[in-house]
Amino acid sequence: MMTPTAAPPRWQEGLKCAVMIGMGLYLAALILTNRLSNYINLQFGWLTLMSAVLLIGMGLWSLWQMRRPTAFGTHLPIQLSSLFVLSIPLLLGVLVPSQPLSASAITGGVSLNPVGGRMVQNYVKPPLERNILEWLREFSNTANPVAFDGMEVDVVGFIYREPNMEANQFMVARFTMSCCVADAFAIGLPVEAESIADLADGTWIRVRGTLKSGTFNGNAVPIITPTAIDPIDTPDQPYLYS
Amino acid sequence: MSSVSPAVPAVPSLRNPLSPLVYALVGVAILGALLYGIFSTGQAPDVLLNIFTTRFLGIFIEAVPFLLLGSLISGLIESYVRTDDLLRYLPRNPILSTLAGVFLGIIFPVCECGVVPVVRRLYMKGLPISVGMTFLLAAPFMNPIVFASTYIAFGFGPIFIGRFLITFVVAGAVGLIFALTSKPNDVLQSGVILQETGWENMQPRRSFAAGLRYAMVTAATEFFEMGRYLVFGCLLAAALQTLVSQEALFSIGRGPILSALVMLVLAFLLSVCSTVDAFIALAFSLTFPTGSLLAFLSFGPMVDIKSTLMFRGIFKPRIVFYLVLLPFLMNWVIAALINITLGYY
Repeated sequence: MMTPTAAPPRWQEGLKCAVMIGMGLYLAALILTNRLSNYINLQFGWLTLMSAVLLIGMGLWSLWQMRRPTAFGTHLPIQLSSLFVLSIPLLLGVLVPSQPLSASAITGGVSLNPVGGRMVQNYVKPPLERNILEWLREFSNTANPVAFDGMEVDVVGFIYREPNMEANQFMVARFTMSCCVADAFAIGLPVEAESIADLADGTWIRVRGTLKSGTFNGNAVPIITPTAIDPIDTPDQPYLYS
Repeated sequence: MSSVSPAVPAVPSLRNPLSPLVYALVGVAILGALLYGIFSTGQAPDVLLNIFTTRFLGIFIEAVPFLLLGSLISGLIESYVRTDDLLRYLPRNPILSTLAGVFLGIIFPVCECGVVPVVRRLYMKGLPISVGMTFLLAAPFMNPIVFASTYIAFGFGPIFIGRFLITFVVAGAVGLIFALTSKPNDVLQSGVILQETGWENMQPRRSFAAGLRYAMVTAATEFFEMGRYLVFGCLLAAALQTLVSQEALFSIGRGPILSALVMLVLAFLLSVCSTVDAFIALAFSLTFPTGSLLAFLSFGPMVDIKSTLMFRGIFKPRIVFYLVLLPFLMNWVIAALINITLGYY
């Protein structure tokens, strides 16, 4: 279903190749620099790798076609607007510094309920190895928050405060995701500690301490009483996978 | 098809599927949403830009592999499949062939980003309107990959069976509505209509190598043609997500009818790929009743922000509107009935 058409201008063909190769290289760079985990669940990283290979391959192939005189059926016209629109992700990806979602991205509060539902296996990890999501699952499996009194915790997350929290309260929070940041959901554990006012919202911290049941935002929940709060770098995998 | 045919058929024109007005509206909407976000959240603009960019790239990066896959399949169809081949295997009875469209996804395993270029190509090859519609709506679930992910997430139970049945009923019903009423000229963008049936079938078949070369050219073109709708959809979804919090949605979503509505809206806004949406539904399985989960799982693959924008590359605006509205209403009614029957919380 095609007829000979006037070949598009060479610069337009060139731009098309550049966008494909550029996008492929960008995806490859995300993988190589460990920044892909800012965007999607690494479980699906192989799909991104496949895309990078395909895009670079298709781009190089189109570039190779440009060397020859325009042959019948090797060029199809595309709209110029497509070229510009498809370069938006490339421009945003390159120009805006890559950052995972953090405290500032929370628009509707942090949930005290775990995500990830009925099918999750309830094998019990030693308390000190549980992350925030695993603690919340434990809490939701046990109706009585007092049952956790005195247990030791050691979790990593970022600081999150809300206006209606007491001065000595904050949450150590994480985003969880299933596939990509589209379904990112903020969860957290409440902490009660004196004198952390100098740590800003969004600061990544490691919290060690013990659990003590109490009231937080009107809910009876286990609350962390910290023995140590240490600022840390953003973890390699900023999200928890549910 | 009966009109006087030109000796050489016109190239299926890819021009102007999006009018400048639509571009302007989408641009204004995104700009307005961003401005509103900047003022309502009290965040610094650079922080908001970061959040928006992260969300946008997340959705885009997750969707790109499937768009590429769809473009490649579309290219291969363009190269190797003739109109004759297509029509030979479809049942002659229009109702049967429309229902057969539900299961075309098993032959062309594509998600909702990949299915649009494939359907567009099949329309150019002369696929009947109604068959393409059922295929378009059903294929993102009715394919081996999504069967597998749904099975892994939920096992073989009410969710899996429900998703299968609802997809069959809704996609089939929408297809049948169009089977009885529509002509290609009323439904399709002018570039997508098959111009001439005989021409291609009389050409010698392409050799394997030539076909592959041509498939590559077509795939690259398709990637750009469909990719821009995807980019717009991702921009819109990211802007809305930066503004509308899931938590706010959950707080209004109680009861059999409203919780189903919330999940429908969420499926539309999140715009996640149908290959992974079962895992996301799993995350909601503690807070939402079965019917509402099924609403999310059945409606999301059919219609979401990015696929709606991609539909514009195939259909006239009025048809796009029906393609969103009909599945929305049907899924809502079915989900509410399931919630009322099975119980809710």
